[in-house]
Order: sequence, then C-alpha cells, then structure tokens
Amino acid sequence: MKSLRVLTLLLCASTVAAAGDHEFRSVVHSIESAYNVHHMHLPLLGVALFFARPAGVGGLKLAVFEGLKTPTDTADVTRVIESSLGPEWHLFVKVRSKGETAGETTLIYASPAGTHMRMLIVNVEPSEATVVEFNLNDRAIKKWMKEPGEEADNHSTHSHRAEQ
Amino acid sequence: MRTTVRSGIVILLLGLPPFLRTQAMQLPPDVEKLSAIAKETVEVKMDGPMLRWASKFLSAEDPDERKAAKLITNLKGIYVRSFEFDKEGAYTSAEVEELRAQFRPPVWSRVVGVRSQREGDNVDVFFKLEDEQMAGIVVIAAEAKELTVVNIVGPIDVDQLSDLGGEFGIPKLNAKTLPKSPIKSVAKADKGDQK
Repeated sequence: MKSLRVLTLLLCASTVAAAGDHEFRSVVHSIESAYNVHHMHLPLLGVALFFARPAGVGGLKLAVFEGLKTPTDTADVTRVIESSLGPEWHLFVKVRSKGETAGETTLIYASPAGTHMRMLIVNVEPSEATVVEFNLNDRAIKKWMKEPGEEADNHSTHSHRAEQ
Repeated sequence: MRTTVRSGIVILLLGLPPFLRTQAMQLPPDVEKLSAIAKETVEVKMDGPMLRWASKFLSAEDPDERKAAKLITNLKGIYVRSFEFDKEGAYTSAEVEELRAQFRPPVWSRVVGVRSQREGDNVDVFFKLEDEQMAGIVVIAAEAKELTVVNIVGPIDVDQLSDLGGEFGIPKLNAKTLPKSPIKSVAKADKGDQK
C-alpha cells in the first residue's frame, strides 16, 4: 500500500512538471528556437520540485538550457519571451548584468488571477538559461508583502536546490 | 538617506507585480545610455491596477495594513531604475543634472537635497504638486558607483507614508523628519536647497 502511495505521489509530482501550461511550454519553445538549444531532461525533476517547493507555492515548473551559443542581449531576450506571453503577464523586474564577454538577463513576470498569482522568472546567461514558473497562493502573497526581500531569497534558494 | 531609497524600492516590491505598457519612466537619452556601461541595470515597473490588486491582500482589520492599502490603492504607478558601475566616475554630474532638470518648478519642488563631499553621495527628493495635493515623488540617489531613480506616481499623503514604517520590511520612518504637508515643503525648499 505504501508503494502505491509513493508511486501515486511520483506520478502526480511528475505531472506537475510535465504538464505545464501553455505559456510555459511556449516560452521554452521560443528559447529553443531563438537560441538553437534544447532544454535538458532532468530525471525525477517533478519529484524534486514537489519536495523543494516553499510553502504556498504550487505548480512549480522548471526548464534548464545549457550550451547557448548565440550571444544574447536584454532587448532580444525580452522580445523572445514576450512573443510567447499573453497580455495578462506583466513584466515586473528586469535586470541586466554585464559580464566580461556577454551579459546576463533576468526577467520576472507576474500574472495576477483572483486570489493567487502566477510568476515566471527567466534567467539567461552567456551559456545557459533557466525558466521557472510557479503559483503563489494568497498566504504566500501576504508573506511576500510582509517580507519581500526574504521571500525572494527563499524562492531563489529553492529553485537552485531543485535545479541541483 | 540610503534608507529613503531603500524604502522606495521596498514600497515597490511590496506591491508585487507591476506593469509596463502604460507610463514607463522616461530618462534623458544621455542617462539612458548609461545602461550600456553599467555593470548592472535594474528596472522595476508597477502600475495602478496591479497595485490595487496587491492592496486586496492587506487586512482591513489590521489598522497599519488598512493604512498601507489606502496609500497603495491611490497610487498610479511605481517605477525604479538603478545603474551600478564597476568604478567611480562612470557618469558625469552633467548627466545627473540633466536628470534633475526634468523635475522643475512650478510642477515639481525639490524638498530634500543632500550633498556629501566626503562620500560623494547626492540625494534629491522632488514632490509633484497638483491642486495643492502631492501627486508624486521622485528620488534621485547618485552615489559614487550607483545611480538610482525612484518615481512614485499618484496622490501621496506623507503621513500615510510614515505609517508604512515597520511593515513589509520597510524600516521605521521618523514622521518628524518628513515634511508635514506639501505646501510647507515647498516653502522649505524655496528657503534653502541644501539640507
């Protein structure tokens, strides 16, 4: 019986990662097309995301790309991402860091919907990229509003942990 | 004064998501060019509908949260642009002056001007007045390796602003050090720029 529960959990968790919604898949596809790269297959990613997610966060999806060969700039990355997103997604934060050879771009989008909010974070570095999407429930949103800096750090840490 | 800038940024962040397609912050072309040489450029944009959405998550039963919700609900947008540089002298005082020149009387009044010779940190706070009501705040913080502009658009009650202190990660603001009314602020600014 325990094995059945574990199997069910694994299946459900994998479904969370694999199902994805339209925008997430579309963003992943756009990055693949624009930068001639494929997202990596990470074994048991769904399980990792299920256990690594912070409280109040659901529908966590993650795609990691390695081996980007095309140089990217912030305007280009923004254009590529926004070609895949509907008008309900709002660009919240845009960060461009200048590296020695090429820059790094981080874009944070949000889509409020009633009592929850979807967030999409895209990070593109010279040779790799990461896309993370998740839902925040009302409790998590309140926590963000109480301690925005701390919550941002928490989400960043959890995403990195899942990626590893 | 860094606290003021930080407070502005945190006020932004607490509102959560924003939006761009309406009223983005316009920077002079020479200042806009700084993003090409900056080590890091950060842009935060939030518009009114998003702020109003965020305010729904503040409790009506908690007096402090109720005040914060009232302040946020009335805002039209919050915008931040920050440039961080590898070394000092990446931007000129003329470029910052061009930025400051956008906020001129009679629409804008500079209510705070801090000049630090030793640290090289210069901070200016401008209030926008419309029908004797404060309709916006702009903070320009020019440090040796960093230039930050915060633009809060919409009616703002300075007393409400101080009520946010201690909430949402915002440091306690000393109400006595904040101008009590926009009109008094203008008078102060006219008497002496440097504080």
